Amino acid sequence: MNVVVLTKWVPEPEGTPTLGDDGLLVREGADGALDPGDEYGLEAALQLVEAAGDGEITLLTMGPEVAHAALQRGLAMGAHKGVRVTDDSLRGADSLVTARVLAAAIGRQEFDLVVGGVESTDGYTGTVSAAIAELLGLPSLTFARKLEAADGSLKIERQTAAGYDVVTSPLPALVTVTAGATEPRYPSLKGVMAAKSKPVETLSVSDLGLSSDEVVATQTVAEVSDAPPKQGGETVEADDTTPARIADLLAEAKVI
Amino acid sequence: MAVVVVTVVLFVQRVRPGVALVANARPSGRGAPTPDRITREITHVFLQKKLLQKLGPGLMHAFIFWGFIVLLPTIAEAAVAIVDTESSLPLLGGASWFAFVSDVFATLVVIGVAMAFFIRKVLKPDRFRGSHMGEADRILLLILAIVVTFLLWNASRIALGIAEVPDSRPVADLLSGLFSTGGSTEIVERILVWAHLLVILGFLVFLPGSKHLHIATAPANVWLAKDGPTGRLEPNRIDLEAAEEDIRFGVATQTDLSKKQMLDLFSCTECGRCQEVCPAWATGKPLSPKLLIMDLRDRVVAEAAGEVELQPLVPNAVIDQVVWDCVTCGACVRECPVDIEHIDTIVDLRRNLVMAESRFPQEAAPMLRGVENQENPWGQPASARLDWAKDLDVRVLQEGDPAPEVLFWVGCAGAFDERAQKTTQSVARLLAAAGIDSAVLGPREKCTGDPARRMGHEYLFQMLAEQNVETLNGAGVTKIVASCAHCFNTLANEYPDYGGTYEVVHHTQLLSELIAAGRLQPRTGVGKITYHDACYLGRHNGEFDAPREVIGGEIEEMPRNRERSFCCGAGGARMWMEEESPRINDTRFDEATETGAETVATACPYCLVMLDDAAKGKASDIRVADVATLLAETTLVE
Amino acid sequence: MKIWVWADVTPDGPAPSALELLTKARDLDDEVAAVALGPGGTASAGALGEHGAKTVYASDDEVFSKHLAQPAVHALAGLVEEHDPAMILFPASYDARDIAGRLQARTGSTLMANATDVLGPDKARTEILGGTKIVDVELNGPAPKLVLIRPQSFAAEPAGGTAEVVDVKADVPDDLKKAERLERHEEEASGPRLEDAKVVVAGGRGLGGPDAFEQLDKLAAAIGNAAVGASRAAVDAGWVPYSFQIGQTGKTVKPEVYICAGISGALQHMVGMKGAKRIVAITKDPDAPILKIADLGVVGDLFKVVPALTEEIEKRRTGS
Repeated sequence: MNVVVLTKWVPEPEGTPTLGDDGLLVREGADGALDPGDEYGLEAALQLVEAAGDGEITLLTMGPEVAHAALQRGLAMGAHKGVRVTDDSLRGADSLVTARVLAAAIGRQEFDLVVGGVESTDGYTGTVSAAIAELLGLPSLTFARKLEAADGSLKIERQTAAGYDVVTSPLPALVTVTAGATEPRYPSLKGVMAAKSKPVETLSVSDLGLSSDEVVATQTVAEVSDAPPKQGGETVEADDTTPARIADLLAEAKVI
Repeated sequence: MAVVVVTVVLFVQRVRPGVALVANARPSGRGAPTPDRITREITHVFLQKKLLQKLGPGLMHAFIFWGFIVLLPTIAEAAVAIVDTESSLPLLGGASWFAFVSDVFATLVVIGVAMAFFIRKVLKPDRFRGSHMGEADRILLLILAIVVTFLLWNASRIALGIAEVPDSRPVADLLSGLFSTGGSTEIVERILVWAHLLVILGFLVFLPGSKHLHIATAPANVWLAKDGPTGRLEPNRIDLEAAEEDIRFGVATQTDLSKKQMLDLFSCTECGRCQEVCPAWATGKPLSPKLLIMDLRDRVVAEAAGEVELQPLVPNAVIDQVVWDCVTCGACVRECPVDIEHIDTIVDLRRNLVMAESRFPQEAAPMLRGVENQENPWGQPASARLDWAKDLDVRVLQEGDPAPEVLFWVGCAGAFDERAQKTTQSVARLLAAAGIDSAVLGPREKCTGDPARRMGHEYLFQMLAEQNVETLNGAGVTKIVASCAHCFNTLANEYPDYGGTYEVVHHTQLLSELIAAGRLQPRTGVGKITYHDACYLGRHNGEFDAPREVIGGEIEEMPRNRERSFCCGAGGARMWMEEESPRINDTRFDEATETGAETVATACPYCLVMLDDAAKGKASDIRVADVATLLAETTLVE
Repeated sequence: MKIWVWADVTPDGPAPSALELLTKARDLDDEVAAVALGPGGTASAGALGEHGAKTVYASDDEVFSKHLAQPAVHALAGLVEEHDPAMILFPASYDARDIAGRLQARTGSTLMANATDVLGPDKARTEILGGTKIVDVELNGPAPKLVLIRPQSFAAEPAGGTAEVVDVKADVPDDLKKAERLERHEEEASGPRLEDAKVVVAGGRGLGGPDAFEQLDKLAAAIGNAAVGASRAAVDAGWVPYSFQIGQTGKTVKPEVYICAGISGALQHMVGMKGAKRIVAITKDPDAPILKIADLGVVGDLFKVVPALTEEIEKRRTGS
């Protein structure tokens, strides 16, 4: 079972992001790591390949040199090889450009399954994976909270507003995995050492056969302004009058 | 003669596998005759210092041990007398002082054995749970047989009138009344001397296969024990550029054990003093330091004898849970009469589980991730390290600034944990009030690596140590005050191995000094207060007085205080692992409650959080606060 | 200029989001249409028309509900090619997201996700950094501009009116029917859903464990028409399932009253509940960020305040 796992390096997932002068998030020089959301998908892929008994996991990422660290993390967890697409023209790429680039890279190899996270911790668009699926002509099984592969087909539990659906599809397909669907393994030091000698390929936009038109973003930031601050709140120390005060508020809101 | 030869041959044959195991084990890098080492050998072995930590059992053992030493020449006496009834040893043979001493000490051995049986059969302390009682009984009886035959032999010689200096042997003299002066006593005398020697030789053969081997291994084990504070772990250097086969990832199989670790296994006498004080064992967890050592020993012996295959020690000798239960408090190491260092082996086992296998309680993974990516166990952004200081005037040491007189190492807990932040603020304000020239590193401070190291992730610790040392050396820091006992221990005792040597003090030490020098007012507190000795300040580093001086006044001591303090439960990276009930911190908090104190004073943020959690869990009104906070409250004006 | 709205429909009618989006679409232009594909599609035309759709492109074919995304994209792409709308508004539902993303790839259009407002035919607005910054984005690129709107960004208001129903033939190639829904499961949820509840009671890290959520259940039960949610910290810790999560990567709620206990107010969480009309926060940390946006912030022990509050409400309810 061969799997391509989409990975992204994101700046400081736990920290407070800052905006640059161009209205875009500051990425250079910031501390960062493999997007925690992607680890769930990678763990799912590792489990599927282990269950299948054989197959390879390729990590795919689009990003500048610092993104190499995200690949190393994934390789340390057990992926077999990495591919990084980098190009000056990709700075400021939007979700469609990202999808085209990643789809072109995926298309260069054999695969049974493409795995992505539901949304990135810094971008939150949540649509890149679906766009990739369309470009590659694959069914997209999104929001999977549980996955099983057998006999050339994939079965998932898909998160819904009311609960979950059971969805199935023959392979090849694309799946996105929700946070918490798996428990990502912590790589051993031996894994980290082995990662250094695993193959990583670097590709440019032209290597992928894409023209420069295809990688032009179609959104620009017009203006950034401060949101109006929320008005009039008060903070009190808890005491015996507190339950009554809160209940009064509820009554005023006509909910009790 | 032939008997002796046979005995020696058998002895050598039986002891050879054990000797080989130790000889082939990895060098421990210790053994140089430092003054500490020599002093320790004398006090621990000859003066029985650690045994006497428990007075009754200590005396019991001391009598037997000293008796054994004193009576050694009497073996030769007996051997000589076997060859020629009338002969005696040159020099000692006719010495009345020696006769007296051997007589008295032989009797003390008898008393010792009697005490031992009393303890084991009447008192029956729980520390013997899991020990091989039958084997112990046999050993005691053999010892008894040796000294009884000795005394009776001398008694019979007195009865026969062939004893040298009979007046110097009061007990034997007393016993001589049992024997007639006639011919049957001559035979009895021969029987007794032969019996005496045969029991000794038999014992010698029995020795290697039993825990009595400790008489040979223990003195060596004490010699190889660590110099310096017990809080220090020895480095297991990892060079990622090296080939994987050349790197040691802790201890996986017995071939990874060091000479000291191997000797540890063969020095254990199953006394259970460690088991008795272990916080994990006390709260029903599967870990007992004694059983850990015994299980490792049994597995090593069985593998060496070819009875089972060479396998990883975890889980084949001990289960994973046992390795993770340890809080590294050092109570076991403190009690052990033969200086077994259980923590070193446990951490080495963890190193392999974490670095080679990635097999560890998963709830600790976020901590390791946080330390790795954000350089703190809570995964908080470095920029937030100064949040505690926002209303204070604290100097932040920037790159290129001149070094302060004292660098205040805040630590991750002190920076990010809201309860510990109060301690940090108190310390900062007290330092300012005392006019100390101090500064903090702020976002340049990274975790000392202590939680990663105790967890077994030695590489992660190594990286952080190297980075922090670079920062500290680059800033020209010479003196550091730490407000966390774990940071204190790591900076003071472990960073020198990574090129960082500074004068490191704990905040309670500095505060105590400042009070004594009149630069800070002493605390004027009311209400009953008890103090919880932090393991990494107290037992591991010998500081019990400074915090008490800062508290000032009378302290309602808990039964387990100072060197016998009972851990709060957070050490050994257990702060980030889940614990089953009954919990160590709850147990300790109950002990504090029983003192009737209204306040529990602590000197470490882990202790503060653990005991405060316990208080909240029990909806207790008892306040838990750091000594610095208690001092600041009464001595600093707002 | 044609503004379309993708309407999520079921046999029970159109989703509230469809009506909200139509209300907004009316603001932007007169030529508003809705696309309603799947069982219940044609039946929804009434409500959709009342809220501003002049035309409803509908189909009741179960191919749209039985298979994920691809049949809908196929039909929608066909409609787009035929009618050339300037802009299509999508709700942020699980299904609509996939459809918008796939459509974007097919048509090369601009897609903006997480919009909170549409300012014109090629400009939309979003909030970032926990809602503290407003960002206006120009949508360059070919029509139709696709906009994914955050839940409950607009209020639904009927305008009266009827829609012309245009039947959509579902001529879906087999190739696009690979992803198939086999079963639907509803998870045990007593009481209203988080998104619908008038009052939301949420717990965070401060609860210390799953057991404490019982206290919140009791409070919600006492209040009535209240749902229980959680911050990401509680979900990550495994105390409650993902469906409880409120925040940037969870549900967005806009109740009349939002009561939270043991939640510090991390940026990611605040995004999910900032729109609540009134916020009550109970925390032991006087410096918790949530207190800055709370209408009533209580610094204290939630383990004391929550049960006391439940008792107070029960007393008032029974008039004792």
